[in-house]
Amino acid sequence: MNTAAPLPREIQILGSAVLIAFLGWLVRLVRTQKVTLRDSLLWLLSTLTALAVTLRPELLARASRLLDVQVPSNALFGAAILYLSFNLVSLTIGSSMNAASLRRLAQECAILRGELEALRRQGQPPGDLPGR
Amino acid sequence: MVDDGSSDETASVAARLGFTVLPTAVNLGIGGAVQTGYLWARERGYDVAVQMDADGQHDPGQLEAVLAPVKRGELSVVVGSRFIEAGGYRSTALRRMGIRYLSWFLRLRCGARVSDPTSGYRAADRRAIELFARSYPSDYPEPESIAIAVRNGLRVGEVPIVMARRAHGESSITAWRTLYYLVKVSLALILLPARPPRTSHGG
Repeated sequence: MNTAAPLPREIQILGSAVLIAFLGWLVRLVRTQKVTLRDSLLWLLSTLTALAVTLRPELLARASRLLDVQVPSNALFGAAILYLSFNLVSLTIGSSMNAASLRRLAQECAILRGELEALRRQGQPPGDLPGR
Repeated sequence: MVDDGSSDETASVAARLGFTVLPTAVNLGIGGAVQTGYLWARERGYDVAVQMDADGQHDPGQLEAVLAPVKRGELSVVVGSRFIEAGGYRSTALRRMGIRYLSWFLRLRCGARVSDPTSGYRAADRRAIELFARSYPSDYPEPESIAIAVRNGLRVGEVPIVMARRAHGESSITAWRTLYYLVKVSLALILLPARPPRTSHGG
């Protein structure tokens, strides 16, 4: 079958508006430094791709023909599931790395507090404490 | 003493008695807390480090026996085992089964012969201190740490000890958690890093 039914104009306008608003929110998050540019790249790229497909639905039809997927919407679902899985794995990796960093920092902090306390007990005022 | 978020007076009592207390800013769990001790030992250049449970299960009077193989230079890691000789507290039947399985699986995965791999009464020499400061598992770390030591070429062995029932507190390992423990540790042993790890990791 593999034919792209024309997307109704209203859906196109609504979809584009939502995606542009989402894009604007992402850009704002990066500019206010709530999300780093590196972490926002996947979201920016996927949103731009979704916007391109909303404005030019024939792109999706062409891509699904290339992949030999009969119905373009199935190709869209497949791509979305793959993308979300990839994003979740990358978030899990980030979370694990953060946990390891947090553990190391807390350990280093505990050791420094222990050393500080030991030096205080030896009677040295904190200002005279040697660096490690 | 590593104070990993205790809510009682343990830390202040230990400090009053003259012990150095290392208070962690966030609760790290057993693996992170024990590794903090190894990091301290490495920083201070200790030749030997000993870990033992603070709930009264481990008798400090048996310290010499646990330390002896390290002092003689025979072993890098010594585990105090309650199953070599008769007597003392030997845990519930279900846990003994789990411990026997872990012992068998450790031997299968890396050739370690330790009859009580969950025992937390241990001694470590300088090489083991260096290794554990670099790499120590997060939760349920005892069996996995034996495997890490063996994989890194350290000699691991055991000596008989007698354990008592815990005098204070309750085990964090309930019946359901025993199952999770076994699954998690088995997976950790299956997925042991092929090469010696270079940084600390969470398990």
